Amino acid sequence: MQAALRQRLGRVRWALRVSEAAPRPRCVGPGSPAALRCWSCGSPLPGAEGLPRFCPGCRALQPPAPRPDLFRLMDCDRSFRIDAQQLQRRFRSLQRAVHPDRFGRRPPKEQYYSEQHSSLINKAYQTLLNPLSRGLYLLELSGVEPAQETDCDADSVFLTEIMEINEKLAEPKNEDILEEIETLIKVKQEELTKEVTAAFERDDLQEAKKLLAKMKYFANLEDKLKNKKIPS
Amino acid sequence: MAALRAAGAALLRPGRGEAVARLGYHKKVVDHYENPRNVGSLDRNAKNVGTGLVGAPACGDVMKLQVEVDENGRIVDARFKTFGCGSAIASSSLATEWVKGKTVDEALKIKNTDIAKELCLPPVKLHCSMLAEDAIKAALADYKLKQDPNKEESEKKANNA
Repeated sequence: MQAALRQRLGRVRWALRVSEAAPRPRCVGPGSPAALRCWSCGSPLPGAEGLPRFCPGCRALQPPAPRPDLFRLMDCDRSFRIDAQQLQRRFRSLQRAVHPDRFGRRPPKEQYYSEQHSSLINKAYQTLLNPLSRGLYLLELSGVEPAQETDCDADSVFLTEIMEINEKLAEPKNEDILEEIETLIKVKQEELTKEVTAAFERDDLQEAKKLLAKMKYFANLEDKLKNKKIPS
Repeated sequence: MAALRAAGAALLRPGRGEAVARLGYHKKVVDHYENPRNVGSLDRNAKNVGTGLVGAPACGDVMKLQVEVDENGRIVDARFKTFGCGSAIASSSLATEWVKGKTVDEALKIKNTDIAKELCLPPVKLHCSMLAEDAIKAALADYKLKQDPNKEESEKKANNA
């Protein structure tokens, strides 16, 4: 999960550099990269960079852009506040268009592109749906590195709380206690999500970074709780 | 039994999909993980016990390390409790072994690179040894603060000011 996220964020950094360098022209003049022509029939490709697109000439699905902006891909404003229903609608409509099931009879190259698109859309959906990954992604887009350094006594009350929940989770399984912890984690995550929303809205990225680090501890506890609840 | 082993193996795997999972842990890490030294707690309120509580915001791991110091300034006991991956557990287990018998000042010289080297941690797991070093430092700082109430007072004043 972390590795995947890091990888994702790495890609994001790249996307940022590209998009900030210069807005992409809509019409492409001579001497433009060859990537802007259809791989199948060679027709020039109009339309939005970074979104799944089909050749206007032969209808072949084009390869995904290497590092697209996930907010743009999912048709969301670049903001921490998102409309989950709209995100889900967009996710479904994109998957309907590019899902590999639709490309069973197409050339292998196009099947491969559809797999790439489909997996990218899954990742984009998950990244934007989950408040923690969405927040970290926004930080990355703003050039803010996520918290790396050790958290020390500065916030020992918080760390003690996390330690105590971990200790409770490590005890022999007790349904009542697990339920209690589950509720607690949910409440904390909701509170933090609200605070992160406010921090992003007043453009306080350092505060957002601090709050997201706290969310990470609770996300970690949530994973442990889930593992514990699954009967082995 | 087989199920138990499988569960153990799953626990040993750090963040799913990390490079370490493919490479596997070094046998020293596995040894500390399976037979952790000095797990537990000391009396947090005792004057000669220093407690360090640290966390890694990147992965959500938490580590508590405690030292008990005798009147000559020598660490006579150490305990840890870590909720994290195998490397974090091994790093803190090793840290408690290393600080025992050392003076406070000697223990302050333990570097995360020494821990990482001893456990043969791969680069992606270096931060786990860093966490252990920070936990030692935090525990010793807490001990020192307890020994010097004047300093504590002045710091409290400074914080309140």
